[in-house]
Amino acid sequence: MNPNSTPNTDADTTLDCSGLLCPLPVYKAALVLKRMGSGERLRLVTTDPGALEDIPAMARQRGDLLVSSTADDEKQVFVIEKGSQP
Amino acid sequence: MTSIIRQGQLSTDTSVRRFDDVRDMLPNVDNPSPMVRLRHVPDLDIELFLKLEWLNPFGSIKDRTAAYLLDGLVRRGLLDGKELVEASSGNTAIALAAMASLAGSRLTATIPDGVPEAKKVMLRMLGAEVWETPDDLCPVDNPRDGAIALARALAASEGGQRYVPTRQYENEDNIAAHYETTGPEIWRQTEGRVRWFVAAYGTTGTVVGAGRYLKEQDPSIRVIGVEPEPGHRLPGMKSFAEASVPAIFDEDAIDVSVVVSDDDAYATTKYMWRREGLMVGPSSGAVVAALRQVEIPKGDVVVAIGADSGVKYTSYFEDILGEEGHPKP
Repeated sequence: MNPNSTPNTDADTTLDCSGLLCPLPVYKAALVLKRMGSGERLRLVTTDPGALEDIPAMARQRGDLLVSSTADDEKQVFVIEKGSQP
Repeated sequence: MTSIIRQGQLSTDTSVRRFDDVRDMLPNVDNPSPMVRLRHVPDLDIELFLKLEWLNPFGSIKDRTAAYLLDGLVRRGLLDGKELVEASSGNTAIALAAMASLAGSRLTATIPDGVPEAKKVMLRMLGAEVWETPDDLCPVDNPRDGAIALARALAASEGGQRYVPTRQYENEDNIAAHYETTGPEIWRQTEGRVRWFVAAYGTTGTVVGAGRYLKEQDPSIRVIGVEPEPGHRLPGMKSFAEASVPAIFDEDAIDVSVVVSDDDAYATTKYMWRREGLMVGPSSGAVVAALRQVEIPKGDVVVAIGADSGVKYTSYFEDILGEEGHPKP
């Protein structure tokens, strides 16, 4: 990603994990990503602040790209691009 | 039990093994699981009985635990239209799934990676939802048991309104199941002659509950808890060198703890299949193997728990058999 440009945060799929505590968003996101094709993007919505650490760590471990991560008092929104792994 | 008995219908009569509802088959002091004498295990000069828990309706000693866990939730008004969630890969989940379906509920089982396919299929057949979980599920906290972390998260999510946890490792109903059924059955079936009781460590509900009851009848009865080695392949058993000690564990109920190797446990399991005609699971082999490490006076009556049958463990047995039983070229 070019740090000077605004990332394209469009997504192919959205997963709303509002109300779910970690590690549930990690588990569900991994399930959805597994079914997606390489280069496709997942928009993930969470409400557990633990996701701010867990989701980037999950993306790193899986070999996916965390395109963006935003948070306010109520929710966190991540856009993850699936890597080349199956 | 909510069955309606109309005039002329046949009701449950355990004396002729007739049951009006599968749950009436659950064991208790008036309908005990059978115990059978083992006569051929080498190096043991004792009167050894194995309690055949796989003849319970859902196939294992966990039928008792699951019935008490579920009954406790109903009595306390905690089930109330919710689904059950339990971190169990095996027998507790199977019994809970069956009884939850019968009670109009459903089980979500969080299970560790690598559980044999047969168990997952059995759970799904019983209507359960199965969440297979890697141990490193939590990338940040990285607890050792992702299945337990996931079960806790499910129970706490959605405001706690959807799931109710059964918590077999923390729930005193697990102890009560064996204090009120397994222990009294053994006392009655041995006519009070039991001197030693041996069971595997898992949740520790069996060894603590039945052990406590037996010691109350006769404080000189000795209770043996059997632990696997770290990194073991003995399903349902826990090594406390690598897993946390369950909250319900009570060391006062135990006299001797014995560590058994996989090799000893599987060799004894194989022996029990071939020389005793008992198609036991690996933990039954482990508890009988453990007796060789304890000095037991000649002729003492010993009762061991045969927690389940080996039918779910053929993939494990395949590994220990190697080429054994195949024709040689």
